[in-house]
Amino acid sequence: MLRKDINELLTQTGPGTPMGELFRQYWIPAMLAEELPENDSPPVRVKLLSERMLAFRDSEGRYGLIDEFCAHRGASLWFGRNEQAGLRCPYHGWKYDYTGQCIEVPSEADNSSFCQNVKLTAYPLVKIGDLLWTYMGDPAKQPPLPEFEFVHVPAEQTYTSKRWQQCNWMQAFEGGIDSSHVTFLHSGGLKTDPLFKGAKGNEYNMKDTKPFFEVADSEGGLFVGARRNAEEGTYYWRITPWVMPAFTMVPPRGDHPVHGHFWVPIDDENCWTYSFDYHPVRALTETERQAMIDGHGVHSKNIPGTYRPAANMDNDYLIDREAQKRGETYSGVAGIAMQDASLQESMGPIVDRSKERLVPADSGIIKARQKLRKAAVALRDEGVTPPGVDPEHHRVRSAAVVLPQAESFLDSCRDAVRATPGVPQSSV
Amino acid sequence: MAGTDMRAPSAYPSECARATAPGESRFRIDVPIRPARNARVIGLDERATAIAQRVAHRSWAKATFYTCQAASDAGTGDARIVLHRLDGRPVLLGEVLTGTDVVVVLATEDAGRQWAAAIGRLCGADGITTAGIVLGEDFEADDAVAALRPYARVLLLSADESDVTELLTALRV
Repeated sequence: MLRKDINELLTQTGPGTPMGELFRQYWIPAMLAEELPENDSPPVRVKLLSERMLAFRDSEGRYGLIDEFCAHRGASLWFGRNEQAGLRCPYHGWKYDYTGQCIEVPSEADNSSFCQNVKLTAYPLVKIGDLLWTYMGDPAKQPPLPEFEFVHVPAEQTYTSKRWQQCNWMQAFEGGIDSSHVTFLHSGGLKTDPLFKGAKGNEYNMKDTKPFFEVADSEGGLFVGARRNAEEGTYYWRITPWVMPAFTMVPPRGDHPVHGHFWVPIDDENCWTYSFDYHPVRALTETERQAMIDGHGVHSKNIPGTYRPAANMDNDYLIDREAQKRGETYSGVAGIAMQDASLQESMGPIVDRSKERLVPADSGIIKARQKLRKAAVALRDEGVTPPGVDPEHHRVRSAAVVLPQAESFLDSCRDAVRATPGVPQSSV
Repeated sequence: MAGTDMRAPSAYPSECARATAPGESRFRIDVPIRPARNARVIGLDERATAIAQRVAHRSWAKATFYTCQAASDAGTGDARIVLHRLDGRPVLLGEVLTGTDVVVVLATEDAGRQWAAAIGRLCGADGITTAGIVLGEDFEADDAVAALRPYARVLLLSADESDVTELLTALRV
């Protein structure tokens, strides 16, 4: 249960809101690099944190993320011409560079300085890995660039996709730290998904459907440990890290690549779910990469030319009741990503958390909400930099291990949950 | 009329799109949800009991608070262990657990290890969900964690006392 005012605080991320200002302390994914594949490629509309912007890559390869609308009369620069190191509004020819600076107003005299006083709001846009990242906060407080492992391993070891999710970011994010739903909702995928199946850990997952949980603070967020019975005298632990505000990882299975998500608010009723897979020490195989492209694992099969899943609310997620009866899927919806999204979207655009009936197994979610709220309030009232801004906090991994029953997962897995280049993931 | 779609025309493309449209939230049943949990909160040690006393001053629907300080074992089974209410009145553990469906145990050290085990055993036998909140820094209460691990369905390891209130509030106790 969450009071309505706290629910509003956590779910509203527009300019000037506490959570919106919190998000503006971090580098966040703005888009996939593939969306701007070459110099002078068509500009792309980008909406983040309830701000409408336009991304483009100029003739010299510089990335710009600027206000979508021309300063002249408010026409969308999406119709603009990306040419000669700038974006020109097709209405009256005003031209802007990648910093949002107006560099030409054709109606003014040749030696006019008018355009020097016209500058659109702009944010940095930086390519790291397969993503273009932006920082939408105070330029004077811009933190160092992100150091999440999935964007720093060689290109052949990583793959990232994205999908539009039609609900508030918190609904999607909370699924990322909710380890207890896997045994039910994704039980079919544990047996059949090419990026999940075959791991010894799956057997523990399926045999023990009532895991115990331990939730512990980390410097950047939380570690959530889910414990199941393994062989005599041992526990199988699945450890999920959360780095504030919106980065989560799924514990690995066997030698499959490690996966996770970044949950980024578009506005208060929509978000982007970035889904990644990477292997710390080897290239992804062709089979693995194709499976990701085909929407297996944490990825989705999208409508060609878009980032909207092919199975979506407009077609009832292509639910297959016969497959549900046969036990191929638990909910009738195919694919792990859409199994999650279908239920999270079914809650409505912004779920009313004052009506929840939480149970102790939801402690990770309860604690994450508390940390987000406290960080947003501390930032608003005292200017405190929140956890997760420091790139040191990004160097985490998920892990899956079998430990003697007496051992603490926190003590035994300090190395396993730290991203160390050249060291494989800890997985069962 | 082979090939003719006989379904009724709809302004909406699907059940799901219609059901999750923002306007549909107006039609959700709005009956207030009564508190669902009949909780017992037990401080295992001195500091944990002090925390329980601070939290107990808030308004709770069904939560009641106890301490294991000065607990005693009558030696006739876990149900006969004597705890105390926060006002000092003794009460048998078996009575404490009667009618409850969740027990939240608070610990800051391992002094209450034996009582944690007894509470855990009895809760396990009676089908009562147990949660443990272990409060400490980095992590000074390791022994308390080890003591609670076999019994608590959820362990929250925290340096933040407000987690107790947050958890109890979220559980609607």
